[in-house]
Amino acid sequence: MQEGRILTATEVNRDLLRPILETPKWFWPAIAVCVVILLIAAVTVGYMINRGLGITNLNRPVVWGFFITNFVFWIGISHAGVMLSAILRLAKAEWRRPATRAAEVLTIFSLMTAMTMPIIHTGRPWRIMYWAFPYDFARGIWPNVRTPLIWDPSAILTYLTSSTLFVVLALVPDFAVLRDRTTGIPHQIYSLLSLGWQGNPRQWKLQIIAGVLLSALILPVFVSVHSIVSWDFGMAVAVKSWHSTIFAPYFVVGAVHSGVSAVAFVLILLRWAYGWQAYIRHEHIDALGRLLVVVATGWFYFFVMEVIFGIYGREADEIAVRALQFTIWPISAWTVIFVVTTYFIPVALWLSRSARRNLWIMSIACISVNIGMWLERFLIIVPGLANRQVFTFTWNMYSPSIPEIIIVTATFALVTMLMLLFSRVFPLVPLYDIKEGDILKTEVQIGRRVVPATYRED
Amino acid sequence: MAEHSTSHFPADTWVFPQSNQITDEVMERTTKKSKAFMALLLISLGLVSLGVIGFVIRLTGQGLSDYSAWGYYMAAFSFVFMITSSAPLVACAFRFTKSHWRRPLSRVAELFAIIGVFNILLFIPMVIALPSIANPDFVPGAHGELAARRAIWLGSSGVPIGAPGVWNILSLVGLAVTSLGILWLSLMPDLAQSKHKVNGFRKTLYSALSGRWYGTKRQWLLQKAGLCLLGGFYFMLVVFVHFVIVSDYAMSLIAGWKDSILPPLYTIIAFQNTLGLLLIILFVLRKWGGYGQYIGMSLFWSASKILLGLSLLWTYHLFAFFMTFWYGRLEVESSILRYLMFESYSVIFWTNVLFSFFIPFALMVWNPIRKTAWGPALAGLSALVGGFLFSIRIFVGSFNAGDLYALAYSKVPPPVFPDLWDVFMVLGIIGVPLLVYLISIKLLPAMSIWEIKEGAMYQKMGKLFRGEYLVVAKPE
Repeated sequence: MQEGRILTATEVNRDLLRPILETPKWFWPAIAVCVVILLIAAVTVGYMINRGLGITNLNRPVVWGFFITNFVFWIGISHAGVMLSAILRLAKAEWRRPATRAAEVLTIFSLMTAMTMPIIHTGRPWRIMYWAFPYDFARGIWPNVRTPLIWDPSAILTYLTSSTLFVVLALVPDFAVLRDRTTGIPHQIYSLLSLGWQGNPRQWKLQIIAGVLLSALILPVFVSVHSIVSWDFGMAVAVKSWHSTIFAPYFVVGAVHSGVSAVAFVLILLRWAYGWQAYIRHEHIDALGRLLVVVATGWFYFFVMEVIFGIYGREADEIAVRALQFTIWPISAWTVIFVVTTYFIPVALWLSRSARRNLWIMSIACISVNIGMWLERFLIIVPGLANRQVFTFTWNMYSPSIPEIIIVTATFALVTMLMLLFSRVFPLVPLYDIKEGDILKTEVQIGRRVVPATYRED
Repeated sequence: MAEHSTSHFPADTWVFPQSNQITDEVMERTTKKSKAFMALLLISLGLVSLGVIGFVIRLTGQGLSDYSAWGYYMAAFSFVFMITSSAPLVACAFRFTKSHWRRPLSRVAELFAIIGVFNILLFIPMVIALPSIANPDFVPGAHGELAARRAIWLGSSGVPIGAPGVWNILSLVGLAVTSLGILWLSLMPDLAQSKHKVNGFRKTLYSALSGRWYGTKRQWLLQKAGLCLLGGFYFMLVVFVHFVIVSDYAMSLIAGWKDSILPPLYTIIAFQNTLGLLLIILFVLRKWGGYGQYIGMSLFWSASKILLGLSLLWTYHLFAFFMTFWYGRLEVESSILRYLMFESYSVIFWTNVLFSFFIPFALMVWNPIRKTAWGPALAGLSALVGGFLFSIRIFVGSFNAGDLYALAYSKVPPPVFPDLWDVFMVLGIIGVPLLVYLISIKLLPAMSIWEIKEGAMYQKMGKLFRGEYLVVAKPE
């Protein structure tokens, strides 16, 4: 039997457009909380710019800390969009339908948020112009295009552009539905955005072909982004434990792990907040859970390889970093928490079907993964830089300062606020995708059982 | 077969065999021996004979104490091992994902489990030939020399007992036993049904292997749970054994080579080669083996996407390796790049990339070719050639890299070309799985009868609006 009944187009329009056409009671208070946090962070950033990076606990040799950790974390979250939308679309996974839009939008907002981090980290944000322009025209000091620190913004901006295009393209049919249900200025805006969509066969064909082509084209960009982020570290020969060949795939798989977990959690929240029980069903969360078991296990394999081959070389400097990661308090405790929360707790839960279908348990598992993945980035960056190697006079450690904690916390408020605002003007579950899925649904009678089935073209 | 002329796919994209005839037809094809089959059998016997000659001459000439003489043997073994060990996994993986198109592929892949036993025999000389981890000539205080070469087996309390040889053999035994378990569980329902259709030794064998299978609900549940558990375990075991083999027999034999991406790179090319070989076998069975009505085009269409994905994944991992070493500019890493990629083995490297990536990629992104049965098979053949060259580059390179107890190279070693006995041994090692597989495919049903019957229930053609489409049922 199918899980959930087949919905009519009227019901789909009514339910999924409700957050846009009616404002929920909790909406503005939630936005207000986010705004307050962001204002506090804005003041903190202003204070930091005024006083300099000295108010953070960044030091020599630990010159990268909370900001860069958070940058890598949000880049990781951004990998959910393409993973769920492009790959599952190409794989024709039916359960992807309610999850795609939220994943794509999360990609865009997390990328935007990630990009604020290195800018804040410079301490003098106007200096970012030196990433593109000569430092000194007269002396011809040009940016070093051979550094991954230049590749980074290029890759991220390409990913942001293509992801935005991906979202807009998928939104066109939904814009047309909104155009037909609004009046006044919103009507004019949605008319403009819907690009004259009439829903005729030619437009549908073009939209589908464009979606498939963009899915295929965006995949290399998707892989390149986190590979290049990993090379920010991997290319640094001087920092022991960073120069590892596995970093690129390790980072990409880790990003998918944290990103898909974040999407699963966002879907659970949407289901609860907007009452979308008929759209985001247990079977969808279950499927995400199963996918996450595979992704998490792949990530764990790469993690084990990274650690084993860190020790394999038997180089004193590298062993010193590993010793710091695994045996020296309090970093060792963080390492244990990181591994347990990223892999052992969530995977143990996801192996049970009933746990995958329990939204509370799924929420805990997904949050656990993201706590762990945040720690992972911290534990890659800080122990490597702490330089606990041959000469003790170069040793140093790092713990975040209050301003760093405030700014990092505010990034979560920023993404939440942007997601909420988006849901206020655009549907976070794609209408046409849900309708298409319902049309393709059917059932097959086998013996005494009725088995859910789908029409497929290939 | 249903007509679906409105589709843009060829008519034989989806095939729906008659459930009541499957067992008879499959058993008829299993017991029939054609001239072409006998010719292939003779060729494989010939190859094995050449291999035995080459092996005996090499053994009596250089012996096993000089491991550098066995580079081509190891390369050929690795090639055979990575394919045959990954094949049962392909069946398990697509069973996990509930892909209906896998059904004709399952048994063809699982039958490789039988070759796993012969892998152990082929591997024994390599266990003996592998130099010890501890440096026998180590002089304390000697500059640039290690007391023990870098290896995955070194712990805080030294080398574990029997490492690496005993553990390597145990790994291979574990693989063989688990894959045979998977094959046996999968075979049970088919053999229980087929034992009434055959005579002689086949009847005895089928009766013994099918045990007390009656097809009760409990037995089916147990069989599926068993396949699921063994499949999961086998997956982890395959990845682990690939890591062990490529670390012990490649990385740790080249001074200064520390490369965490090599095990996944090796595993991915193993999966790519396996899928390639399975596509070739399925193409042959479809075209000349009389299994056309069981092996639809949808299998090639679906598997080709995965082959394309694996080709891209392998290239990505290779690029990640290259990029890190090239950008790092460390002397030790630069010399490894020059040795394995750009100087000593440059021709083999570029040919490897051509066959492992460029040719399969070009074939698989081109829809008119991808929609044929021969296109994916051709891409699979290309991947196999690429995989063989990869094995030569990595293992011959490692077995002839010079002082394995040094910290790094002093100069890049020259390439090593095969002599006649190397060629004989390579042919022999390839002949062994060919011979075993040919015998297996005539001994046991080459199609998973129960899975194809199940698939026939889950797939049908259905009308939607004005067109006729495939309806795929997906039970939980």
